Amino acid sequence: MPTTSNSTELVGFALLYLIYFCGGDADLWTTLIILDDLLEILEEVDSMADPFDAALDLLRRLPPSSTQQNLTGIISLRPDLEEDLLSSVDVALTARRCPTSGRDYLCCDYNRDGNSYRSPWSNAFEPPIEPEDAAELVPGGRVRRMEESLNAGVDVYRELYYEGGVSSAYLWALDEGFAGVVLFKKTASGAGKGGWDSIHVLEVNEAATKRSAHYKLTSTVILDLGLSSSSIDNLDLAGNLTRQTQSDLSLGGFREAEVEQGHVVNIGRMVEDMETRMRNLLQEVYFGKAKDVVGDLRSIQPLSEAERDKAAHREVISKMGR
Amino acid sequence: MASKQSTVASFVEAAPPGELSNVVADIKALAPSEVQSLEPAFKKYNEEQYTTVKLPGSSETVLVSAYNSLGNGRYFDSASQTSFEVDHASQKASSPQQHPTDSQHADLIRSLQKSFSAAASEHFPSSTVGIFPAESHSAVALLLVANKYSPQNFWNGRWRSTYILNPSSNSLTGTIKVDVHYYEDGNVRMSTSKKVELSSGGGSAEAVVREIAKAENKFQEELNRAFTTLAEGSFKGLRRQLPVTRQRVEWEKIGGYRLGQDIGGGRTK
Repeated sequence: MPTTSNSTELVGFALLYLIYFCGGDADLWTTLIILDDLLEILEEVDSMADPFDAALDLLRRLPPSSTQQNLTGIISLRPDLEEDLLSSVDVALTARRCPTSGRDYLCCDYNRDGNSYRSPWSNAFEPPIEPEDAAELVPGGRVRRMEESLNAGVDVYRELYYEGGVSSAYLWALDEGFAGVVLFKKTASGAGKGGWDSIHVLEVNEAATKRSAHYKLTSTVILDLGLSSSSIDNLDLAGNLTRQTQSDLSLGGFREAEVEQGHVVNIGRMVEDMETRMRNLLQEVYFGKAKDVVGDLRSIQPLSEAERDKAAHREVISKMGR
Repeated sequence: MASKQSTVASFVEAAPPGELSNVVADIKALAPSEVQSLEPAFKKYNEEQYTTVKLPGSSETVLVSAYNSLGNGRYFDSASQTSFEVDHASQKASSPQQHPTDSQHADLIRSLQKSFSAAASEHFPSSTVGIFPAESHSAVALLLVANKYSPQNFWNGRWRSTYILNPSSNSLTGTIKVDVHYYEDGNVRMSTSKKVELSSGGGSAEAVVREIAKAENKFQEELNRAFTTLAEGSFKGLRRQLPVTRQRVEWEKIGGYRLGQDIGGGRTK
């Protein structure tokens, strides 16, 4: 808790104040009054929620279909939170066309520099950024080799599971390993609107021996569904769920190329497992839970009838028990 | 660019069922100086969401809406013939006073109050209803709100019904709105609304509430069907549960391949 350190500082400050101003002459009454004021200040400090946590809590409560708009609103209230919020709040992804390859890629905070985005296909920022910034932000060597190979794999995976849509993967180096993000976006066509955005953020810590690595995955799926018909004027089911998982996985082979391939396989499998799990969860929440809550609010069967049925059922059970 | 004041007001107006106090606590932490400007937003939220308050000195709950507003923060309840003051920020009622129903439809309001309450308890385990004069006393409004909050399980829900009965033309129109919020490690919101035009079935209180129950049953059945339509339609079309091959991806083989080649697994050699 950040407030704890504040509280400790305040206690220290007040003690110094007591010693400095009152010296040895402070009577008990003055000391008590000052201590009382101090306690009030402490209570106030403790009840003040951390603004960043409050921003996240607010975004978890307000309609998920307006997350982007609410995020902009919160930032206008608290510009100091902008960087932290942009890197921790997932919003629906946007796609851009790569001018070099002619292929679409996805944009997020991880391939962004100012208003420029890096294409995973060309490895270049569009619009171009300063060469000294590019030297720092454009991955090279093994990280870029793994990124290319992960993009190729994710592309195949996307075609098999999404049968369309856009995918992109971005990697960057860390001191003891690397980090990355795998993105998918699919928009439904035809009757009813629908959109799926998945955002998988990974952190990979490699063992010194490079025989295994620790993978940490945080995944968010943003699922937006809607229907409008003559029988239901409109039904909106929109939202996002986030889940985390960690795993120690082995890396086969001694050659660098085998280690790199091992990472791509491990990441691919983890993302596939997570998406399959989350798809089931989304199905349960969107179509099971929402329907159950409506049923809890209102019963189609008259409640007196339901009560009679229950009583009759209880009687049958008790007769059978005799 | 929206003002800070309208930004925080929009947060209040969009608060999910049962979570207004959480939203206000968040606003306090983010922009403490804007909280005092929220009074109009609280009033709008309470009147639109049919917020229920406990009548002072009674165990009865009554709902707050534009239909039973007397102005100056006072509202009235037809059933107990009482008016009361509402503190919109704390959602508490105080200063009750006698308030006899002053309407040419006083008898109709009384009998609708009885029938609508009875009909509501047949379908809603917990609900609050209100019958008020509407459209400058030419019509009668029938309102219902049902809330179910389960914050320990991270979900809350609200059902609102609004019907306007015009006794002279025998017309009965209404709107049903349902909101559900689920927020365990996420934020999922369902909102739906439906406008209905009903026959008033001759205009007697019993006939009117019978038509309403019939229409609400039909709407709920349609809503359940809509869930299935979305699950079987749009949702399935976004991401498959398994590839067409019914096999998971063989990531070991994926690296060197390019799209268009058969790497989907399930290949027999």
